[in-house]
Amino acid sequence: MAIDRAEARRGIYWIGKLLRHPPVIGRADESSNLKRVRRLARPADSVCGIGSFFPYSSEMSAPLDFLRILAERLRLAGIRFAITSGMACVHYGLQQTTKDSDWVILPEDFIRFRELLADLEREPRWRVSYRPIFGAPLESSFMMHGWTSHLLITEPDGSEQKVDLFGKPPRVRELTNDPDDPDFASREVVAQMKKTDRPRDWPMVDSLGWQSVTRSKIEAMVHLQDAVKLFSVWTQAEEVQRNTAKARRPLLGLLATDSDADRLDGFLRIERLIWECVNNERYSIYARAWKDFYRAWQKQADFVWPLEAPFAQQHEWVKSAARRLNLPPDPLGDVGREDILRKALARAKVKGMTSLENLSLVQPPLTELLP
Amino acid sequence: MTEQPEYPEEYYEHLARTMGEERAEWARLPRAEREKELRWYHEHFNTPDDLALWPPEMDGGVWNP
Repeated sequence: MAIDRAEARRGIYWIGKLLRHPPVIGRADESSNLKRVRRLARPADSVCGIGSFFPYSSEMSAPLDFLRILAERLRLAGIRFAITSGMACVHYGLQQTTKDSDWVILPEDFIRFRELLADLEREPRWRVSYRPIFGAPLESSFMMHGWTSHLLITEPDGSEQKVDLFGKPPRVRELTNDPDDPDFASREVVAQMKKTDRPRDWPMVDSLGWQSVTRSKIEAMVHLQDAVKLFSVWTQAEEVQRNTAKARRPLLGLLATDSDADRLDGFLRIERLIWECVNNERYSIYARAWKDFYRAWQKQADFVWPLEAPFAQQHEWVKSAARRLNLPPDPLGDVGREDILRKALARAKVKGMTSLENLSLVQPPLTELLP
Repeated sequence: MTEQPEYPEEYYEHLARTMGEERAEWARLPRAEREKELRWYHEHFNTPDDLALWPPEMDGGVWNP
């Protein structure tokens, strides 16, 4: 097995650095992302180009073409998938700049997906690697419990594509696709996935709610973040639609008796705080499990990572380490969803300087927060 | 350009308030035009999504620039 020790050392250096010092680089003003690009970026052939600052390769790429290439291959292999997150927001006209792609693949299809990646590498100049921080092995036993897996795919022209994979995306009960372009996840799926603790994600949730008004009033009422618009859709909806939406979003129950937009806005903020705290508790569990695993792995005599080898060998390598060192397949299940929610609510109460009573008025059910 | 914006004007005005004028203007474009602009940026600038090695799916990415 050929190992590029320089590359391995480089990977270990970065992971070690990141385990010690989480990457707090600064808050970006996402509303002016494109301006940021224009301000910072230099033409690709410039020696002062932005790429020169990064530990990644500065190869140019055609991410939109890559999406279609991989989607076509997945379709031909009979693998059920949906492009989600940033690229789905590009698709829905909400995000201007993104290069990485996020894919949901049904957990039972990961065996076929690994075969597809191995086939890809048999073609000239394609290369597939786990990224240094790879998440979980691409095994359905991990992916079905909410782990993510992180790859770097190098195309024949040298373009590098960062590919993030989900088996069970957070907050999504069922994978549905955009009826107008089934390569992409539905607005419902993308909106649920965007209920994170990143401020930049919430305007996306709201906008997907606006887009849903003419398609599904229920989904619009579940996702809208704008108090005035939410009240307007609520008043136009039928009773049965209201009840269905209310079961998913208890905040809507307040609309029956309260039409004060400022007060509703206050409750929307409390509701969002609950989503944020639950998400923070959720991914912290995965991050902690991964760090514990990786630290234990580093202490093994035969430890080497990243591994310069074909993808199939990399996969066996990480799978074996994950099994040997007990990377938990279902860390959320081990902790317990009720416990996670309890901690999150306690934090939301403090962060929001509010009461448990107010929290209980708007708290979404566990089936929404941590399905 | 003959294609009409996909959503009512109210939607784009709201986008301008919540995401900025520039993004709202881009959103008004027909899909092909939007993709053309994105493709141009990909072709001319090397602009990774963020600077962090930790995937945001694993650490939240809250502070990623």
